[in-house]
Amino acid sequence: MTVTGLIGTICMFPLRAIIAACVALRIHPNILTFVGVLINVAAAWQLAFGHFISAGVIMIVANIFDFIDGKVARELHAESKFGGFWDSVIDRFSDIALFIGLIYLYSSLRRTDYVMITALAMMFAIMTSYTRARAESLITKCKVGFMERPERIVLFMIGAFTNRMAAVMWVIGVLSIFTVADRIFYTYRELKHAQPEPMA
Amino acid sequence: MKKTVTLPGRILWNAFFWTYDRATWQYDLMVIAILAFIWLTPPDWLGDPTASGPGPLGYLADLLQR
Repeated sequence: MTVTGLIGTICMFPLRAIIAACVALRIHPNILTFVGVLINVAAAWQLAFGHFISAGVIMIVANIFDFIDGKVARELHAESKFGGFWDSVIDRFSDIALFIGLIYLYSSLRRTDYVMITALAMMFAIMTSYTRARAESLITKCKVGFMERPERIVLFMIGAFTNRMAAVMWVIGVLSIFTVADRIFYTYRELKHAQPEPMA
Repeated sequence: MKKTVTLPGRILWNAFFWTYDRATWQYDLMVIAILAFIWLTPPDWLGDPTASGPGPLGYLADLLQR
């Protein structure tokens, strides 16, 4: 087993208990998704005022809701097309909220360089999701590129708990640019191969 | 003519044009590289607005200069 696989397995133990509790209480997964974004806004608020540790703790709570909603939906047999759509839309709000919190912080510190770096990281993080969504309307699957939402969230937490948010913004920004480029290139290649041969 | 790609070139291509799943050894390596960059790079080098100090790499560079 790999190190990241082991960490994932360990984290699943408490999450299973939370999922079981939500299923027992029959909490609708769409409500869990919505509560997740509200808590993420609180984390963004803490980031905006430079309270990184409390932001990190709130992010953990918010992302528990984010993580379990799909699993609770499956357990309750409440999966729906709207649920999937609602989840992806709300996830974008959560993403943007955290970036805006940081942009507020850097602008209040009069650091226009980091305002720009964070804004660019935000743009490419959103484009990462958009390119996949758009690509999968044309091809069956476009799951390439490293910097997806779970990686971003974990990096935000690491940045918050260890006060290394600047380095985290660089990593998210640079790897998101490559992820978007990767998805564009992959979709181009798939569509080119799928094109019918020209008639003789 | 067949193009030959050097090993470092192939490693860089595979790192940036990522196709591996999570929980693979390639994923672990990437995570280690990212964490090394985040924790070892001195905040001063990046002009970090909220953190300061030389960080582990800066201490090491200082130590080697003495």
